[in-house]
Amino acid sequence: MKTITAYKCNKCGLVMYPYHDRCLNCKGRDFKEIAPTSKGKLLTYTVIEQLPWGMDERGRVLGVVEFDNGVKALGLIKDDAPRIGMKLKVNWEPVREMGGEEIFGLTFEKTK
Amino acid sequence: MRPVVVAGVGMIPFERRDEDSLMDMLATAGLNAMDDAGLGDRPVDSVYVGNMASGLFNHQVSVASALVDRLSLLPAAADRVENGPASGGSAIKNGFLAVASGFNDVVLVVGGEKMREVIGPKATDIVACMTHPEVEYIYGLTLPAMAGMFARLYMEKYGVTREHLAMVAIKNQTNGLLNPYAHIQMKITMEGILTHPQSHINSPVVADPIHLYDCCPVSDGAAAVLLTTEEIANKLKKPLVTIDGVGQATDTHTLQERSDPTDLKAVTLASEQAFKMAGIKPKDIDVAELHDAFTILEIAESEHAGFFPKGEGAKALERGETQIGGKLPINPSGGLKARGHPVGATGVAQVVELVWQLRGEAGERQVKGAANGFSLNFGGFGNNVLAFVLRRKS
Repeated sequence: MKTITAYKCNKCGLVMYPYHDRCLNCKGRDFKEIAPTSKGKLLTYTVIEQLPWGMDERGRVLGVVEFDNGVKALGLIKDDAPRIGMKLKVNWEPVREMGGEEIFGLTFEKTK
Repeated sequence: MRPVVVAGVGMIPFERRDEDSLMDMLATAGLNAMDDAGLGDRPVDSVYVGNMASGLFNHQVSVASALVDRLSLLPAAADRVENGPASGGSAIKNGFLAVASGFNDVVLVVGGEKMREVIGPKATDIVACMTHPEVEYIYGLTLPAMAGMFARLYMEKYGVTREHLAMVAIKNQTNGLLNPYAHIQMKITMEGILTHPQSHINSPVVADPIHLYDCCPVSDGAAAVLLTTEEIANKLKKPLVTIDGVGQATDTHTLQERSDPTDLKAVTLASEQAFKMAGIKPKDIDVAELHDAFTILEIAESEHAGFFPKGEGAKALERGETQIGGKLPINPSGGLKARGHPVGATGVAQVVELVWQLRGEAGERQVKGAANGFSLNFGGFGNNVLAFVLRRKS
């Protein structure tokens, strides 16, 4: 599955996403590219009723997920009853249409 | 560094101003500040314009160059300063440095934004351009949504309730009724925005748990200050109010990379710097203007700036300590919630309000005997924050 690329500092081990030119902790410049694991937990979320221009929908749930390997990322939460701490599994799907093009991103659903 | 005096202040009422262009607003606010100082035809050395997004909102750029032309301040130096919703604060910082360093003697700082030229969802999109383009913006993240995610954690950690958030809205809109420059002139009640079974019609969800009455309005407006030296200010007629402390700090672009997303580190650091430079403590402040773009932020900032311990801000609010007449009045102007938030204008408008308060010119919303003021201008979602300490010279 296609997914995001996160970065692990070769010097101090800090996991970062998105990319920084220098490590946020030790200023190191060498990183190992890592992929997030397939599962994680929800750290916080919101349900957006008023979306920006070009997004004609209501009740979009966005949240920050911490993957099992420490990568943290924002994504689209496909669940009507989100709660902090819930276990989620990740997918790579269209999240928005921009300029007639489908933009892919992280989506999450509850683990069975 | 030499002392910097705010010799003149000016504003125009914040509202939807369909008849005015951005340049009309900047020019009027600027003239008001020059006239308030009694500057007459004396020259101005530099002009700084705080503005976030004139290119996107109004299809006009190089607005500082256009403003010196409008005001016949040529050949003054002119720069536009952009720092998101803290553009106004950053413009004041630049003006402060120019005078403090001795590089300039008279500096005009004007902040302004004309946001209502575009429809609401478009304004939401333009403001969302400050989020990370690849890892936030593509999901439809908005600033109210960041406030929603922040509020959910803050409420859980510190026992802040929706009632507390509504108390901020009610307090600030009550103060706004006393401020002729405030955009929202409407008294609201707990019943109308929270407790009545149909209150959700008045105050629908924007980004849960943030409701409509937890958000500042989208406004047009401008504000200005004239900064100068003590020597020149002494020749003018206004009571001396000086900028004694300036602080600025940054934090990660995305919320997710903060080890504790409820910790507004840049607010703490900017405030500490400003207090250290001024040589006074939070307990010495008589009046504060905080950046309540969302109600939760007034509570969180009042703690991170050092006025209350973490988790105590909501309790102080409950006890009425932050009302006009309380121990530390916060946002007597009505704050962003009632005055409005034309993004580039806000940091300047906060300082304008402090000067009125410290001179005793704030009318019905006057905080009695105020001598020391504090303002906090919050850029991004706390990723670039400015703090100022102002004092009345006795």
